[in-house]
Formats: sequence, structure tokens, C-alpha cells
Amino acid sequence: MHETGVAMEIYRASLQAAEAHGPGHLERVRVAVGELSAVDPELLAYAWEAVVAGTPDEGCPLEVEWHRARQSCAACGQDKERSEGSWLPVCPDCGEFLTVEGGRELDLLQLSYLPDKPGGAHV
Amino acid sequence: MCDDPSHAHVHAHGPFRNLGHEHGPLQVQVERRVLESNDLEAQHLREDFAEDGTLVVNLISSPGSGKTTLLEATVAELKGKLSVGVIEGDVATERDADRIRALGVPAFQVVTGGACHLDARQVNKALRKGKFPDLDVLFIENVGNLVCPTSYDLGEDFKVALLSVTEGDDKPFKYPGIFSAAQVTLITKTDLMAHVSFDLEAVKGQIKTLRPGGEVLMASAQTGTGVDAWCGLLAARLAAKRAQEP
Repeated sequence: MHETGVAMEIYRASLQAAEAHGPGHLERVRVAVGELSAVDPELLAYAWEAVVAGTPDEGCPLEVEWHRARQSCAACGQDKERSEGSWLPVCPDCGEFLTVEGGRELDLLQLSYLPDKPGGAHV
Repeated sequence: MCDDPSHAHVHAHGPFRNLGHEHGPLQVQVERRVLESNDLEAQHLREDFAEDGTLVVNLISSPGSGKTTLLEATVAELKGKLSVGVIEGDVATERDADRIRALGVPAFQVVTGGACHLDARQVNKALRKGKFPDLDVLFIENVGNLVCPTSYDLGEDFKVALLSVTEGDDKPFKYPGIFSAAQVTLITKTDLMAHVSFDLEAVKGQIKTLRPGGEVLMASAQTGTGVDAWCGLLAARLAAKRAQEP
């Protein structure tokens, strides 16, 4: 349930990044969310709607790029499927610990920003 | 979260690249961690704590697992031996800080007003407002919640997950985030063990899977059993931290 706090942080960081381009409004915000980040993309989208409601950026969509974790077993020497929602880093076949890569992303990637003055924003 | 090698590509805070057209919307590349401002603040706190030689412990558990009661027993045990302070986090009321202050120990209450976790900015503010003396150990009692506090670095030396025997022995696998992140799991209310079905070995097995090498301690704040071992761990961690100082 800390999606609201995360959405507020995304908004704050977006405004900070947009600031250099002068006044305007956000048209689209793109984030990366990993499956091990403890953030639910659907809840995040709801929270985002609420956070931007009543601001000049109301209605700006939040696009979520979903990242799965990759895991491999050194003992079996191959990649292992991660069952949805499982955080257990243990090989289902041999019981060895798995190497887990990625899946913890929680990153602000890109904004689409429309400055009030067309062409007036040069960094 | 920031020790994940997959994050290496987003660490640049660099200037934004303008990929937009003259009159259309600008495409601004940002590429930063969403919680970057929290992580930076936590890093500042960590440096300050290292300079001061203060051991900082972030206590995380569900509501009612006995964090405050354990802290009461802990500060009573440490009194006269170590200088201790407490930051309390709750959605509402000053109740927990009052309980700690009643024992003659400085405490500051952060009232989150609804937020489900503490963040590094709140800890910084609490330190400024709390007017703590020089501390050997600072306890941060997080808001009762097994999920959200895990994501927020507070500049602590380590996280402790508390699990009371009345909550059941399946919690580590049900809340893997916190039990993976906590260096220490403290099983509380062990005096009630005889009255509930709680498979200690199962819990230890789950923690071994989630956090190989993680420590598991047991304590009852009511009877005092295990409080000395817990305080011993704190003293050892404090000594180890200070031995590292240049």
C-alpha cells in the first residue's frame, strides 16, 4: 500500500526533471517496475491518477514497463522459470540457491513534457 | 534495493537529453531511481551515524508483534551501560514515545498521519527536532507493517524483523521481502509458545532460505528471557562498528 508514496515520489521527480524546460505540463510519464520491487503496477496507476488529480498534470498517463527477474541455477547450469509471485531463490529441481538478476527496478525513465512556450525551452 | 547490479544503468543523475521537436512535447530522458531522494538522504544519515559512532537499528514488524514492549525491556537492560534513543513511527498518537520517555530515555514520535512506513527525511527531521544527546544506539521503530518499510532505507546499520509466535510460523515465506532484508529476525512473545502452534524449526528453515546467514534470536519481553542475548548482539555490533572507524 505504499504505492501512493511511490506515485508522489514519481510526480516529484518528474516535476524536478521538467523544471529545466520552463512552465508546461506532463503529457506522459514512463517508469520501470520490477516484480521484486514490492510495487503493484495496477495500484500504482490508481495512486498516480489520484496524485495528479487537481494539478495541471491531471489526466497524464503513467506508463509502467514491467520487469521480470531472471534467475539461474549454477548447479543445474540453466535458467529457471520464476513462478509468479515467488521470491524464493531456490532451484525447484535441485534445491540449490539461485542467482537472481533484475526484478528490483523502480525507476523513472522518461517524460513527455509540453512547455507552455513552443520551442522556448532550451537546456 | 540500490545494491542491485541491475540498477547500474540508472545511477547517472545527469542532464536531461532533449529529444523533442521544436513545437511538440519534449521527450525528456530521466533514468533515475524513483526512491533516489530517499536513498541519498539515507546515505547522508549513514555517514553522520558513522561519524558519531552511533549504531542504528531499524525495527520492522506487523502491528502488535511487540516492538515497543521489546524496546521497553531493551532500554531497561541497557540503562546505565549505553546511551540510547528511540524514534517511534506510528500513523497516530504519541503513545509509544510516551512509553519510552516514561523510562527516562529520549524518544521522538513521528506521526505519519496515514503513511505506512518511515522515510529517511522523516528520520532526519526527527533527529533535528528530537534534540537527542550523543547516542550509542538509536532504535527506529518503524510503522507496524511487514511490506512497505522494507523499501525505505533509513541509514540504519541493519534491519531487525520481529515475529511474534502468535502470528504464526508461515510469515517469512508470506512476507519474503522483509525477511530477506533483515539481518536479524527476533522471535518475540516466546513465553506464549506453549499455548500456540508455532513450529520454530520451520521458521528457521524459511529464514535460512530467504537470508542465508541471517541471525535468529528469541526473546520474551514479559519474562525477560533472551533480552540479554539481544542486548549482547547490540553491544557486539556497536563495538564492531566503532572498530571500523578510522
